[in-house]
This record gives sequence, structure tokens and C-alpha cells, in this order.
Amino acid sequence: MGKRNFSVASLPGFGTIAIITFIFLYLPIVTLVVYSFNEAASMSRWEGFSLRWYEAALANRQVQDVSIRSLVIAGWAATLATILATMAALATTRNERRFPGQTMIYALINQPLMVPEIVTGVALLIFFAMIKIATGYQGLGYLIAAHTAFCIPFAYLPIRARLETMDLTLERAAADLYATPLQAFRHVTLPLLVPGILAGFMLGFVTSLDTVVITEFVKSAGQDTLPTYMLGQLRRVVTPEMNAISTLFLLLSLIAVTVFFLLSRKKA
Amino acid sequence: MSAVEMAPHGADTDKPKAPRGDIAWRWGLVAPALIVLLLAASGPLLIVLVYSFLTPGNFGGVIREFSTDGWFQVFFTRDIFDETVGPATAHLDIFRRSITLALYTTVFAAVLGFPTAWFIATRAPDVRPIWLFLVTIPFWTNLVIRTFAIQEVIRNEGLVNTILRSLGIISAPIQMLYTDFAIMLGMAYVFLPLMVLPLYASMEKLDFKLLEAGYDLYATRLKVLWHIVLPLVKPGFIAGSILVFIPAIGAYVTPRILGGGRNLMLGNLIELQFGQGRNWPLGSALALTLLVIVVAALMVYIRATSREEGRRHG
Amino acid sequence: MPSSTTRSDIEIDQLSKVFGSGDDAVRALDAVSLTIPENEFFTLLGPSGCGKTTLLRMIAGFEQPSSGAIRLGGSDIADLPPNKRPVNTVFQSYALFPHMTVAQNIGFALKMLGRPKAEIEATVAEMLKLVKMEPMANRKPSQISGGQQQRVALARALAPRPRVLLLDEPLSALDLKLRKEMQVELKRLQGETGITFVFVTHDQEEALTMSDRIAVMSAGKVRQVGTPREIYNHPADRFVADFIGDTNFLTATVEKANGATARVRLPSGHQLDAGLPTGLSPVSGDEVTLVTRPEHARLATEGPLKGTVENAVYFGTDTHIHVRLDTGDLFILRNQNTTSAAALPEKGDPVAIAIPDGAVRIVRS
Repeated sequence: MGKRNFSVASLPGFGTIAIITFIFLYLPIVTLVVYSFNEAASMSRWEGFSLRWYEAALANRQVQDVSIRSLVIAGWAATLATILATMAALATTRNERRFPGQTMIYALINQPLMVPEIVTGVALLIFFAMIKIATGYQGLGYLIAAHTAFCIPFAYLPIRARLETMDLTLERAAADLYATPLQAFRHVTLPLLVPGILAGFMLGFVTSLDTVVITEFVKSAGQDTLPTYMLGQLRRVVTPEMNAISTLFLLLSLIAVTVFFLLSRKKA
Repeated sequence: MSAVEMAPHGADTDKPKAPRGDIAWRWGLVAPALIVLLLAASGPLLIVLVYSFLTPGNFGGVIREFSTDGWFQVFFTRDIFDETVGPATAHLDIFRRSITLALYTTVFAAVLGFPTAWFIATRAPDVRPIWLFLVTIPFWTNLVIRTFAIQEVIRNEGLVNTILRSLGIISAPIQMLYTDFAIMLGMAYVFLPLMVLPLYASMEKLDFKLLEAGYDLYATRLKVLWHIVLPLVKPGFIAGSILVFIPAIGAYVTPRILGGGRNLMLGNLIELQFGQGRNWPLGSALALTLLVIVVAALMVYIRATSREEGRRHG
Repeated sequence: MPSSTTRSDIEIDQLSKVFGSGDDAVRALDAVSLTIPENEFFTLLGPSGCGKTTLLRMIAGFEQPSSGAIRLGGSDIADLPPNKRPVNTVFQSYALFPHMTVAQNIGFALKMLGRPKAEIEATVAEMLKLVKMEPMANRKPSQISGGQQQRVALARALAPRPRVLLLDEPLSALDLKLRKEMQVELKRLQGETGITFVFVTHDQEEALTMSDRIAVMSAGKVRQVGTPREIYNHPADRFVADFIGDTNFLTATVEKANGATARVRLPSGHQLDAGLPTGLSPVSGDEVTLVTRPEHARLATEGPLKGTVENAVYFGTDTHIHVRLDTGDLFILRNQNTTSAAALPEKGDPVAIAIPDGAVRIVRS
């Protein structure tokens, strides 16, 4: 064996720290998942493989309720946010120079990413309290509206990215080949945009599922979602049932994010 | 193409008609998103400002009477008996803890994140997205679950203490949960991808020929790192630091779970005013103070990056 | 729409295009007027930024003129959107729809026009045959080669039988061999379809070999319109002479002008008859610029130009001999190589250059 080539990219200790980082990232999650299969009611001992906590979690009426609520809110919020973000992305791309107000539009769309969730939560608590008194409406609409607004920048991101990598001459070619603007959109722009739109939806869906603080402030009594329910449960003594719920939730997010990853890798 | 000395100012220059219709169409498309954002994200911030200048109601909410007490209480206390004014040490402690913990978190995330981003950026191009994806997976799983996972690792009967005890290194568990360290560790865990992603983005653009040039000109690895790599990835470094610092300073979930109700951060103090404290004006003023800190951090970021940009373009 | 009863030519009338306004204003096209007869292979030739692509995009409808008119068969089309013009474009990047098959791409325009399915299928089949792409009908654009994509782009633009086909540097992405093939192919297609082709290129050789007529453009203006032969042999001004082919420039003084030629005197004292471009009538004593092509001059023992050989560059088919004239100017001759190793002068040799009658022309500077 000859001597190894001099590698310009290697820096001392960096590989080791990177490995430590990946362990740091995955050890807690792996532990959480492993102990969801523990027969024992405590994490201090491993008493053998069991699905009893999954059975308990799936039979738990409250868990069922909050899970369904989470999915309903995420479904609505991601759908609405994706539609709104698609329109906004169509309006803010495919021009050579920025139109008046475009910078302000960017700022507004990205605002939920900048302002701490707790501040938005407080603001919505106050604002929605006023509306609740004025209208008497107490339903899920508030949570859906809050989540929709929060999901818009996340849905907007991949859609805009897709539009920006899209060849503008394709739309010109369609127009040149006698397509009306509507036909060009229907037959050329939209089909090419679909992966971006789906990616935006997935990202929005995961974001909504992940939203805790805003939900905690906006929800009315009996409107817990899965994350706020878990947050409340963590105050008490925790059984591996929490691990089982977490593992199931994790799986759901993982599927959504993987779909997003695969879609965003599809070439424009 | 030749430049025109005096452009004709007639209506037919550049056809203003078509662009104007185009702009109206664009505003129409973007309007629904803006309305939702204004109603359910940006607009209500103004109501918070109004509420911070009102009088607290007895059972939460406000009485519509102007008062600066909310803002006053952010920084000062007035003794109930002799009306003397003193600094609100409890609040100031929390401010200090929040800023310190957010800074520690940022540093910790950078120490882990920089080598990790470098590791990913130096893999073969086709496997880089997969490594990057591995970094982001935990990020897309729920915040409560991730914090719960950390709790399971560091609590007294948790993984770390169990292993250490079974190895005989310690006889009694090390108290890690419900400490500032726990909060810092949890936040670094939760926000680490926000450090890695922008760092990676700037490293990916790095021309590795520059490193070769450095070595060719007798630089050691550390000197190459210090004189070539660091200056070039600085924008990513600044972006990553800001992206970690901002959610860390406003954190609510992580300190609530890992701080155990004793080691409060700003987020928890704000929540308290809308819960048990029933002092909405103080809560509003605290929320806006947090917002001001975040905006200040953003300004530092924008100034730093625009200076970088300016340097690059001449 | 594509099937119109009156078939006539394109008229570009005083067309101008200004981008931006105020100090940033750029006049991309400056009062350009052109007439392109039906069934002609017409080329817009010029360096990048000369306005040729802007002109093409205005004919296609992607760019609105600042002033002037574009008429197609007598009627002004300036206000029609691209999808209402019987004009199709072959884009530089081809702009094939990546999510459609080759056949779907070719049938796109007819589908947009709401033609019956049977007609679309028949036309697509015909077009596939025309560009010899039948086996590729169900491939996606990403699954065929660059040259094949080029053919599909052509077929797609020809399928609706436009009155005019616009081609925006369509061969620039192809390698040399394929480009030569496609040049022949384009010429064949134009002949077979009888459609007017307006072709944009910056490649003078491409323009000379393919076109019926060429408009040479620079800085937003048309410098000269003519057949390849006219443009090459009788360049109107210095820019055209310089841009098309290799050219030697000489300065001379006019002795006497008589109609189509003028008697000029070189600094060496020799006198020559030089051709005049139309509309130029210099008077005695005027300083003028002369042009002569490298392949028209030859080495001689005696001639109006004298100098020293500076370099001889071998090109396979011919050898370029760089002569430093006594006046200090550089003069290039092109000598065709033959099998017999005829003695060529070597570096440092004093030589004279002879220029036959009719090989020298005066150009506007």
C-alpha cells in the first residue's frame, strides 16, 4: 500500500466531531423508540419486548381525539396555505425585475419565520379573544387560521424555488404555439409545478403538526392537539405510553418529510 | 446596444400599460395570502402594542384605561408598603438567563455544527443531500417529542445516569434535568440543524482550489482553516448563529420541560402573565421586549451580511 | 391564424425599441425597416447585443415595440399577443416541454387550437416523418440527444403550418458536425414547406451558406440587406466588411469618381480602380477606406503594395501570409495550398502584392 493522498478537505478532528453530532442527534430518538417497546413501566430497566404501550396508546380515547384534531387542523392548514402560497409564488416570480411592493410582500410572507412563536401566540390569544367575545364562535377555525398563516412561508419556499428554476421560455413557447395564458398555465406551468406544490404541502403539513406554542395560546378548552396534549402530560409521571405515542407521531412526520425530500429532489 | 442620451418621454417608451396591468394581476394573486398573514400573524402584533399600555383586568384581559404600568413592571418593582422603586430583579434575572442561555446554545451549536457541515460538504456530491437529510429529520419531528427524548436521556433514571451507574463510575445519579445546562443542551439539540444548513450552504459554494492554493503556499491545516475557510464561510456562520439565537431566546417548550418550572426563560415568563399572573399588559410588554431583542439581532445580521456582500462586489 | 388565404410578406416599418427610461435607457432597435418576401430564407446577422434577437422577439410577440409597425400580409400585428400570431419560434434552448413526449410536444399547438384528434395525430405523424424522428415519438425530451431535440423543436414549430418560422440561434448548442448537418436540413425543410424562415445568428459562415438574403445589424440598426454574394463582395460599410469574412483595410485618396467605380491613389503612389457602394459619390481628394479580401490578393514580384513577410500560418486548405506593409499596416493574403510544394515566402522576405481589378472596393467608414 502506498501513502495516502494529501486530502485538502480534511481538517483535524472534524470527522470525529461530526460523528459525535450524529450520535447526539439520533441517540435520544433511538432511545425513545427502543423504550416504547419496553415491557416495564419505567425506563430504568429493560424487561423485555412488548407492544402493550402501543395497545394502551391506541386505545386511549383522549389520544385518539387529539390525534384526529391534529390531523384535521394540519390537513386544512396545509391545503389552504399551499393554495395561498402557490398564488403568491406565481405572483412573485417569473419577472425580470421586482415590482413595487415586492420586497414588502417577501417581508410579510416570511414574517412568521422571524417573530418568535410565543409573541405570535400572545398576539393571537388577544386578537382571537376579542373575536370570540364579539362573535361567540369557539370552533377550530381559529386554530386553522393561525396554522395556515404560520404554514404559508414554509409552503411558499419550495414552490417559489421550483418556479425560479423553471425555464421561462417554456411558457413563452406555449404562447407561441397558440396557447392562451390560461391554457399555458394549465398545460405547461401547473404540471411542471406539481412537485413543488406537493413539497410545499408536505412541508406545511409537518409544520402544522409541529406547531405547539401558537396552538397552546390559541386553543379553546377541549381543543388540545397531539403536541399540546403531550406537553400537558409531561408534567405528570411519564409511562412508556408517551414513547409509543411519540414513535407513532415520529413515523408520521418521517413519512411526510421523506416524501418532501424525494419530491424536492425531482429535477425541474 | 447603444445608450440613448435623452430618452423620449412619450407614453410609448417602454409601454407602461402592459406592466401596470401585470402588477395589478400580481397583487391580486398575492392578496389572499397577505390578508391571512395580516389577520393571523402580523396584524395582531399591533394589538399587543395597544394592550401593553392598558390596565390589567381582575381575571385576565384588560380594562380600557391607559397605563404605563405594564412597561414599568418589565424593568422595575414598586414596594407595596413604602412605594419605593427598585429594579425588577426577578425579571432582569430571567432576561440575563435567556440571553446567556441563547448565546451558549449558539456557541455549542456552532462547535458541533461547523465540523458537521464541513463533513457533509466534503462528501461526494451525490451523497451530500442524504447526509443533509439525516441532519434535518430530527428537526421535522415534533418539538415536544424531541425535548421529551432529551429528557429521557438526561433524567436521573435516564440513559446517561443508568449507564454511568452500571459502569460503577458514579454511585448517585448526576442531577442534569431541571438545570440551565439541561435547557442549553435541549435547545442546542433542537436548533442544531438551523446552524448546519446555512453553514453547509456557504461551504458547498467554497472553491476547494483555494485550499490547495493555501497549502501550496506553505499554510498548515489550522492556518488554512483560519485564514481561508473561516473568512469565506463567514456569511453562513452569521446566518446560522442568528437562526439559532432567535428561536433560542424566545424558547418556551424546551425550558418548560427541561427547566422544570424553576429555571424560567422569557417565553415562560410571558406565558405566566397570561396564565396564573393575569397581567396581560405586562405580558404584552414582555412579548414586545422579546420582539425588540429579536429585531435587534436581525439588524445585526442584516448589517453584517450586507457588509459582506458589499465587500464581495467591490 | 395559421391558415390564412392571403400569403404575403413581413414588413417591418420604422420599428424602434427602447428598454428602460431616463439615463438607463437603451435603444435596442433604432428605426429598423425591412421587407421579407414570402418563402424566403432570411437571416438577421450581427454580433450579440445588436438587436437581432429583440427584433425576432417583437415579430413573435414577446416584446412590444416602442414605436413603428410590424405587418404580416399587410395587416398590423403589433397588438396581437403571441398566441394569436401565425408565427412560430424555434427557441435557442429549444424550450421543449419536459413533461410531454416528443409527439405531445409536436401536437401541442394543434391541441391548443382545438383541432380534432385525428387531424392532430396525422399532422404529428407527418412532422415526425419530416424531421426523421418517428422512432422517438414516445420519448421524453430528456431521453433524446441535443440534435434530436433540435429536430423536435423544429417539428413542433412547423406543425401548425405557420406563415413565418422564427429561428433564434437554433444551432448554437450543437457541435460543429451536427451543426453542418442541421444547416442542410433546415434548408431542405424550408424548401419542402415553403414557409418563410427568419433566422437569427451571429455566425457569418452559417448566414452565408444558408440564407437567400441577409440583414447585417449592429447597434440597433440594419447596416446592409442583400444576398450572401452581395454582402460578401460588396459590403456597404466598414462594419459589414469587417464582420463578414476576413478583410484588409487600406486608406487611399480619391483621384476621380466615375459612376460605379473610382480611381484612387495609394500612399505608394500606385493607382487603382475601386468599386463604389450605391449612394456614395466621393470627390477628388477625399480620403477613403478600401477593402480587399485576403483570397483576392496574391503575391507578385511587382505590385501596388510592398512589404515584408511577418508570419505564415498553415490552415490545411490554405496558408495565411501576414505581410507588414511599408506603410506599417498589416495585410493578410490567403494562398490556397496545392499538392506541389510551391515555394512560399519565408519570414523576413520582402514581397509585393498584386490586386486584380474589381477586387478592391470603397466602403463607408
